[in-house]
Amino acid sequence: MARILIVDDERDIRLLYSAELTDEGYEVDTAGTGDEAARLLQSRTYDLIVLDIQMKGESGLQILQKIVQERSEMPVILNTAFSCYKEDFSSWLADAYVVKSSDLTELKEEINRLLAKKQG
Amino acid sequence: MTTALPHCCWHIAVIQKEDCPYLREGEEELLINQKQRLLKRCLECPKFLEDLRVFNGELHGLPDMFTFAIEEILGLRASIRSLQHRYDSRSQEIKSLHDIGVALQTSVDRDEIIAMALTAVTSGKGFGLNRAILLLVDKDRQKLEGAFAVGPLEAEDAGRIWREIEAQDYSLQKMAEVFYEQKMAHEKEKFRDLLARLSVPLGQSDHLFIRTLNERKSVIIHDLFQDPYLPHEQKQSLGVKELIMVPLVSKDRRIGLLLADNIINRRPIAPEDLESLETFALPLTFAIKRAALYERLQEELERVREANRRLNEQQEQILRMEKMALVGQIASNIAHSIRNPLTIIGGFARTLIKSVPEEDARRQYLESIVRQTRKLEDILQEVLHYSESMHPTLDDWDLNQMIAAVYTGQREDLELSHIHCRLDLQPGLPLVRIDYKKMIYCLRNIIANAVEAMPDGGEVSIATRREGNNVKISLHDSGSGINPEVLGAVTQPFYSTKAQGSGLGLPLCARILEGQGAHLEIQSDKGQGTTINIVIQIQREERHGQDSDR
Repeated sequence: MARILIVDDERDIRLLYSAELTDEGYEVDTAGTGDEAARLLQSRTYDLIVLDIQMKGESGLQILQKIVQERSEMPVILNTAFSCYKEDFSSWLADAYVVKSSDLTELKEEINRLLAKKQG
Repeated sequence: MTTALPHCCWHIAVIQKEDCPYLREGEEELLINQKQRLLKRCLECPKFLEDLRVFNGELHGLPDMFTFAIEEILGLRASIRSLQHRYDSRSQEIKSLHDIGVALQTSVDRDEIIAMALTAVTSGKGFGLNRAILLLVDKDRQKLEGAFAVGPLEAEDAGRIWREIEAQDYSLQKMAEVFYEQKMAHEKEKFRDLLARLSVPLGQSDHLFIRTLNERKSVIIHDLFQDPYLPHEQKQSLGVKELIMVPLVSKDRRIGLLLADNIINRRPIAPEDLESLETFALPLTFAIKRAALYERLQEELERVREANRRLNEQQEQILRMEKMALVGQIASNIAHSIRNPLTIIGGFARTLIKSVPEEDARRQYLESIVRQTRKLEDILQEVLHYSESMHPTLDDWDLNQMIAAVYTGQREDLELSHIHCRLDLQPGLPLVRIDYKKMIYCLRNIIANAVEAMPDGGEVSIATRREGNNVKISLHDSGSGINPEVLGAVTQPFYSTKAQGSGLGLPLCARILEGQGAHLEIQSDKGQGTTINIVIQIQREERHGQDSDR
């Protein structure tokens, strides 16, 4: 069972994503800050991380830079309310870029795709 | 010997009024002043002369001598009167000259000045010549061009121009005004052909006009038809034998040439005519030159005004854009803070739908929530699309990490091309504010160029260094070097190097970097490889919204 880390400073987003992704059959952990995420990343291995860019404290982009450096094999999905970052990073550092939406279909499809690619 | 009594009263000390028919009212003093009466009246009195004749032969011929002396006195008197007359007309001329000089100084309009000048030359109150022609230097076209002429075209036309105006007994200045307002256009049209025929290129230095202009000396040509320096056709066009030419020259600048003649009444041109015109030439030259300067000043002023107007417009535009950007930013902030709640509300509604059977009425309610949140999300998307288009995507980045990421992405390509890559990254570099995507584009582009320049493999080194207030990325390859033509073109905007091989895309990189306060330095020698430096400023506060590529 694939393990996914959700990093978002909005509690209800974490709640929604973990409910939906658990429903999809993933094992889901959530983190509300960069530090929390770093601690979780230290303690266990994740198959994929969903990262919010705009957060209080350390931004998702800064976390992303660290991940790229330390765990370049782990797929990262940037998930944000800002569509403007999409053009910038999707093809360079993150493996996917999904703009937040109440319709989680795109997010789920990207998770599936990246996990399948990683295994294959 | 008979000694007749004198027939007249010249020998009487005191006479009566009726004794002398030549005395006029107010000359009563002469009745008692015998000596003055003799000088003023008797010398020209026929009876006195008759008396002298009667005395002839007496007193050893003294009366004869006396007669001779009288004739001399009368001759001298006549010449004094003529001198007086010349003096009067000369001082009248000087006064006119002065008047017109003053008038010339009051105007800065070239045509008005010319009108006054030619009025002065041709009107009876001025110099009274029949015709005046003004040729002016056109510097741009390097020509002495016929500018204007005043005078009769044919004999019957003679004097008509001025008779009409002079009938009003205007001052010279007033006449010039009337002429300028009522006659000038007509005169100009009348002489158009002549003026065109008299134009001469300035370079034609053996032409009579150009010679006179260059020698700066006024002349009277007494027989124009014999002059070797004027082409036959122009002699025919002028149609006169005698011509005055007065060059208008100020300091080293040739302004024009004034021609005048008596084409109608053929009055011989006197040296005084030349003198008068010469005196007149100086204020005229100044006035024309000043009018030209004034015109240029007006043009410059207009240019400055225009520039100022554009500047104001641009400032207003900037202000408007700043306001728009602010509005956009506010909208963007609001939109972003709404997006999370919408995602959550709509998201949970979708979660719930899954557990509610289709026939359940609550399913419709949930679907309604999903539909409405979707609608709101669409509106948000529009707002964000608008506001994001106004904001740059700058952020603070660690260049070393960025280069590492690029290297990771390119590693496979480099290995396939048998290119060894060496990274030499200085640790602890300060963050720089850049557009990540664009910077990465540039790096990838430069690396791609290097790969292209080394078709048989080679070495690429990428180094980062802090240099004062800049961070420098140096990329060196051991390739064939960049074509010098492309090298020079890198700094030129809109230069395309398509299909020119190595160096492709560098001009675009240069422009992208400029937009971020960075720049490219390129050093390339054929066969020595290429070094490309990207120099990025460290401190770039308050530069938002000023990127040139937006």
